[in-house]
Amino acid sequence: MEDSVIPFLEKTLQRIPSSSLKSILNEWGFLTAQQLQDLHFQQSKHILHNKVLAFCEENGMRIRHVIQLDMIYNCEYPNKRNWSVYQFSGQEDDALVLNMTEFSQKFKVNLKDLLRHVSIGMKKCEDDAVWIRVAWGDNFTKPNQFKPTYVVYQLQTPYVFISNLNVKHRPLLSQALVIATKHDEIKEIQLRGRCLKSLKDLVLRRYKQSFQTHQLKPLQERNSPERDQGIVHEHAKRLADLKEVATQTFGDGPLPKLETAVFKLETKFKDPENRILTNRPEPFRCAVKFSSPSFLESLKSLVTLGVASTPVSPLLSSIPQKARNHFVISERGPGVPSTPAP
Amino acid sequence: MSVLKTFNKLPELNTANIMLVGSDVSDLEKLSRSIMDENHSFNVNVRLAQSLPLPVENEDSRPRIDLLVFMVNLRSSYSLSLAESSLKFIDPHYFLGKVYFLATGARSSHLSSDLLPSLRKLSASSHSPVLFADLESDSDRLSVARRFLTLLRIAAGLVPGASALFLNTLLKGAPASANEDPPN
Repeated sequence: MEDSVIPFLEKTLQRIPSSSLKSILNEWGFLTAQQLQDLHFQQSKHILHNKVLAFCEENGMRIRHVIQLDMIYNCEYPNKRNWSVYQFSGQEDDALVLNMTEFSQKFKVNLKDLLRHVSIGMKKCEDDAVWIRVAWGDNFTKPNQFKPTYVVYQLQTPYVFISNLNVKHRPLLSQALVIATKHDEIKEIQLRGRCLKSLKDLVLRRYKQSFQTHQLKPLQERNSPERDQGIVHEHAKRLADLKEVATQTFGDGPLPKLETAVFKLETKFKDPENRILTNRPEPFRCAVKFSSPSFLESLKSLVTLGVASTPVSPLLSSIPQKARNHFVISERGPGVPSTPAP
Repeated sequence: MSVLKTFNKLPELNTANIMLVGSDVSDLEKLSRSIMDENHSFNVNVRLAQSLPLPVENEDSRPRIDLLVFMVNLRSSYSLSLAESSLKFIDPHYFLGKVYFLATGARSSHLSSDLLPSLRKLSASSHSPVLFADLESDSDRLSVARRFLTLLRIAAGLVPGASALFLNTLLKGAPASANEDPPN
């Protein structure tokens, strides 16, 4: 077995949590049934990994098998990565009808033409998405398997989700993708996050949006248990009002899970008391960043608790609609920046 | 302006009413549920409010409040300022042992260093003790609920021979004067 395979396999195995090790090894299918039976999954992780390594050596493992395992793990746990969203534009006529083999052929050939040492893995997962894993080397060194770039191309849509892409490799990957999918160009949209499913929902407008319908208040008396009858809220009306405002602004159902929202301000400094900073010709740059495990849900609960003042600023409440979370606000008003944002 | 008055309503038979005031609605609800869950030989009603003054609409249905508890979260200065501003809308008779402060979140590592001293100053100036609790686990909530039920019994006059003012002078948490350093 090659030297580089063992550390790579070890690292990949270490990342898999013990609870799903069995199912992932089953899906991988590289170990024989007899070997899988020999593994006792209640033992410590260290012993298990050593056994798996021994079995893999017996079966004659190569790099491409470990790549498969890595891809299975990442398909299972996509939320451990930071994803950025890119969009294709200018498609040719038959762009959306994609032939899987043709696409993979074109992509691989293109990328290998540009850079000699790349290692590419492809996998078609459920939900109509193609997962591509690229490990980059350059013209003289072998590909670095420990820092691969993951690309998820959502079929039938012009959206691609990319994780861990180096600035150096960006033009190469973009070119290969554009050619293989028969579009004209690819552009990054200002949406980033960890939860891949939420990003997909936002971009494809799949989450339930808020509609201004008359909300019927459910019957309260039947639901509250015995002990709650002694508890009375003094400001019950105000709480109900706040809840209504929150549901009107953000909708009823679960909100997509975004981790940050960044607003870069490029406006002039306006404070009549401060003579030094006002009236300067160049804009005052400042960035406001909101971060939270699920930023939209926490904003909704801030409104419900009365801590955030209503009405909620449209800059924040329009985030699910606009499907972006990085904004640049310039003098003329919020929107697309004049210079391309990084 | 609706000021909470001590004695303008008649007490009910074998009943005590406690009012919890705090900015965090979920904390209020947790504590009130623990209080209601606890075994008590008398009826307990809990009223929850975010701040005083209270809305005038509830004036008629509101019973006589025997014990007032201000919940202050030591992680947020907003809750402390809310409690401070609410103190103005209480009848002075309440400060004779019927007002308590409950400080939550003292175990947090992100403690802002000047909230606790300001809370102690506030409690010293209003002669109301500060109790500390954390409402995270069931056992914590149970012990806090029990303490408040005992205090509530006395404040409602259901224990013969003891009154809220009497208890106030006995409690260690009641600060003697505003100029003394808090005991460490």
